[in-house]
Amino acid sequence: MKKFWALLLTAAMTAAVLTGCGNSGSDTGSNAGGAGNEEQAVQSEDSAAADDGANAAADLDMSKTVKMGILVSDATTAEALAFRTYYTEYIQKNYNVELIYSDELTDAAGETSAIDTFITNNCKAIISFSSFDRAAQIEQCDAAGVYYAVATGTLTDEEYETYKGYEHYVGAIGPSLDVEFETGYNMAKHYLDQGKKNFAIFGGAIPYYTEMHIHRAAGMLTAMVEAGGDGANYQGATDQGAIIGQIFADGEVKTGAIGDINIVGYVGGYDMDDAWFGKCAQMAQTADLEVILAVGNGSDFFGTAISGTDVKIASVDAYASSYSEAMQAGMLDYLAGKFSASIGPIFIATYRAALGSPIRTADGNALALSQGYWVATSAEEFNTYYAVDSSVESPAYTKEMLDTLLTADYAAFESFVSKYSFEEIQGM
Amino acid sequence: MSKNKMVKYIMNLTPLFGLIALFAAFLIIGTIQDINVTYGLKSIVNQSVVVAVVATGAIFIYTLGSFDISLGASTAVSALIGGMVYIKTENLLLMALVCVGVAVLVGLFNSVLASVFNLPVFVTTIAMLSVLNALVLVLISVNGTGSEISVPAAAVKPLNNTVFKIVVLLVFVLLSVFVFCFTKIGRMQKFQGGNPTCAKLSGISEKKMAIIAFAMSGIGVGLGAFLSIIYAPTLTRNTASSVGMDVIIAIVFGGMPVSGGARSKIYAAVIGAFSMTLLGQIMVMFNLNSGIGQMVKAAIFILVVFLATSDQRGKMLPR
Repeated sequence: MKKFWALLLTAAMTAAVLTGCGNSGSDTGSNAGGAGNEEQAVQSEDSAAADDGANAAADLDMSKTVKMGILVSDATTAEALAFRTYYTEYIQKNYNVELIYSDELTDAAGETSAIDTFITNNCKAIISFSSFDRAAQIEQCDAAGVYYAVATGTLTDEEYETYKGYEHYVGAIGPSLDVEFETGYNMAKHYLDQGKKNFAIFGGAIPYYTEMHIHRAAGMLTAMVEAGGDGANYQGATDQGAIIGQIFADGEVKTGAIGDINIVGYVGGYDMDDAWFGKCAQMAQTADLEVILAVGNGSDFFGTAISGTDVKIASVDAYASSYSEAMQAGMLDYLAGKFSASIGPIFIATYRAALGSPIRTADGNALALSQGYWVATSAEEFNTYYAVDSSVESPAYTKEMLDTLLTADYAAFESFVSKYSFEEIQGM
Repeated sequence: MSKNKMVKYIMNLTPLFGLIALFAAFLIIGTIQDINVTYGLKSIVNQSVVVAVVATGAIFIYTLGSFDISLGASTAVSALIGGMVYIKTENLLLMALVCVGVAVLVGLFNSVLASVFNLPVFVTTIAMLSVLNALVLVLISVNGTGSEISVPAAAVKPLNNTVFKIVVLLVFVLLSVFVFCFTKIGRMQKFQGGNPTCAKLSGISEKKMAIIAFAMSGIGVGLGAFLSIIYAPTLTRNTASSVGMDVIIAIVFGGMPVSGGARSKIYAAVIGAFSMTLLGQIMVMFNLNSGIGQMVKAAIFILVVFLATSDQRGKMLPR
């Protein structure tokens, strides 16, 4: 009897799910209680508004709350927390939007599930900090008629060529790979100009072939090749392209001499186990080491080990209070950091799209704009930047500044984004 | 039916009532909040089906009073090898067969290893977890860019639909129900899980039961790996990383006694997997941040399990 009930109930439940989930092909835009018609109407308005271009921006109806999904693959680092604070404590309080965050995503399946959940909850747009499978995210959002934007970073050239014409792909604003290269180059050059010769490199996600980390490391190595004297080369490579190719081929940075300059240590990955922390400590205590160049956060992993020595640490990350303490304690000497408000313009671009006034390039394509970092080389400089960056009353990009983008044409939008240095923003 | 028996029977069905209640809550709250319910149902199937399939197979292991902590890693390895085979052959059927074959082999290796060293099977699965996680890194690093193995999305798109996933789930659940409820294998497994000493004295081979359980679990893992590829064809070192824990939660959430034995229920996996996803969807509707959402989910989880096992406490069979 029990078996019979068990079978019957399992079958009934499965049948109920099947019934509910039928009609798989064309129900994406539909909704319960007649809301589907409303959504279709909004989408029709979107298309019409897109045709009208920037003129429609002046007529934006911001009376209705716009739901947006935020995909995150990192919910705990200083950078992630700073971005989240800016969106939840400033943007959400100043614009009529409801921001729904995903859980911390760990793979492409998680991204797909989270997007499904956002679409279910009638999110009109999705801003993504997660990059396990950008292409799948764009395809999924476009198929569902939901706007999609990359919060930081950019697509590869190949990806951009594929997706730039997608109606629902808003675009990407963040450090391009050239900017990442330049960031690493400037970091290394800062110390080479001081006469430093012995470096260690923390390669972050290089073993996982993360392009931005590879380009930062390539920038460091290129600066060393230039400063290394006649015949200096990195594993036979002497220019940007060749050095990037060499790192891709090796999946790591090789130690050794680059002319007069020495790479005396290297650690990559984020294994975070005892063996890995042991390697970090060992590298930080290498004889004659002068500077640790990190493609990501360096002070958290090497700060304690170099404490009380003359070794300097340079990092790429974000402006967070912990780095202020690290700088004052001598555990961090140089920071190229993203400022939290840097994600303001992509929010506006996405918001405009959801309101029916998407911003496109002159050719009608999605945005692909580059931003850079704020570089602090002293605790004082850091604190000046951090005071602005951490403010939820008056952040780097205030509402008044962002509001100008609501009605901006592409040229004005691009000009606004390109002025990302602290001084330029303060002068706006 | 006596009153006590009726109460016991109803309590036994608590997980099912929980699922129905969550489903009703999803529909009611969803309608009030004007969400896209139809899309939501598709989404629930997409998010539940892999865990449901893997957990259904794992029920056979849990019935023996054991557990396999390496199911997530096994799913990942199967998916990666299946993906690599597809990239070489462009044959979806072969990819599916390889996924299942690899998962069954891993399961059998687990059970045989336990037999050879005369260890509890869960001990070998702990060791296997490390081996499989390392294998995931090796497979990814020797293939392609070193960060991912990517099956072309266009190739799996035709199968990435709700009906296909439900059919796969249904076929496997029916197969499992048949083996579990209508063959002597199921009865012997429950006997083995409920009272191993008595089962041994009755001539039931512990090793044989373990091998069958891991083989069935392997089929579930293999199908889960195949469905994972269909759902998200870009495979990374984190692919299916949450599946192992989700399977354990789903099985317990579905009312399966962790001690296994006679009260084991094959349908617990499906109920648990769908309940978990529904609960997650409801949390999102309230826009609870992940911390609060996790706490609320944990509280509901404990409540359901408490009710579902209320007739079992203090009545454990001697083991």
